[in-house]
Amino acid sequence: MKKILMKAMTTSISEVLETMFYLPIEIGDESTLSQSGMDMDVPNLACQLKFTGDFSGNFTLVIPKNLLEEITEDFMGESRDSLGEEHLSGTLTEILNMICGNALKKIKSKTPFDLDIPRVIDEFKIHESHVFTIIETTQSKMAINFALD
Amino acid sequence: MSYSILIVDDSLPMRAVIKRTFKAAGYGNSQFHEAANGKEAIELMKNDWIDIVLTDYNMPVMNGLEFIKTYKSMDVLKDIPVVVVSTEGNETKIKEFIENGAAGYITKPFTPEEIRDLATTILGEIDYEEDFDESDDDFDF
Repeated sequence: MKKILMKAMTTSISEVLETMFYLPIEIGDESTLSQSGMDMDVPNLACQLKFTGDFSGNFTLVIPKNLLEEITEDFMGESRDSLGEEHLSGTLTEILNMICGNALKKIKSKTPFDLDIPRVIDEFKIHESHVFTIIETTQSKMAINFALD
Repeated sequence: MSYSILIVDDSLPMRAVIKRTFKAAGYGNSQFHEAANGKEAIELMKNDWIDIVLTDYNMPVMNGLEFIKTYKSMDVLKDIPVVVVSTEGNETKIKEFIENGAAGYITKPFTPEEIRDLATTILGEIDYEEDFDESDDDFDF
């Protein structure tokens, strides 16, 4: 199941980021955050979304704040100066919501999956051993992980 | 032609994007209303004329399905068409929305064309000459 979900998730990442956020990306390798090449010294924001259905689990997205600001600016058509925390967290949760919903839609299931409301989390609670799929943009990297219960 | 359009979504950026998409689709002269959940939306609908509602499903306080069920049971509001714009793409769920009165369903991620096509089906063809406003810089979608 993990393989199927991984395939659905990587396809979904490309579809969501390229269709809704005009962000060309490449799916990179899997690694822990510290080995991913992401700069962990700059501010990063993280978001988590739980889902339940034939199987349950959660998705976690970690993104550098400056990349999120750039995506939000393009997504909303607003200048960076006019963006507040609500715009940034709203865009972050919406990215994960769409990736997760779109990925689960691709999986055949007996009962429909239910998505929880995505919530911004303290990235430092993410365990060092967690392995993430790295998403490479032209300027930066973000990371996504899913875990089954 | 100007319409009164209500966008119901707990995500502020998503409300802004749907609004921009409508403007890009030729509905730039319309009046836009926003609500962050179903409960807020119903209060707004009681006080303002609304031609079409676009609602998310997964929202706090009152989700999209509860919202549709509630307002479709109210005589004054039940005839207002509603389109669901959601990440929930499961056929069972879509069927449930349609059975409860949704006029259409768009799954995220969506393209501006999908929004335009569905809106046009529900609201009617746009007269682009009438609606085009050269001073409106919101068309650079």
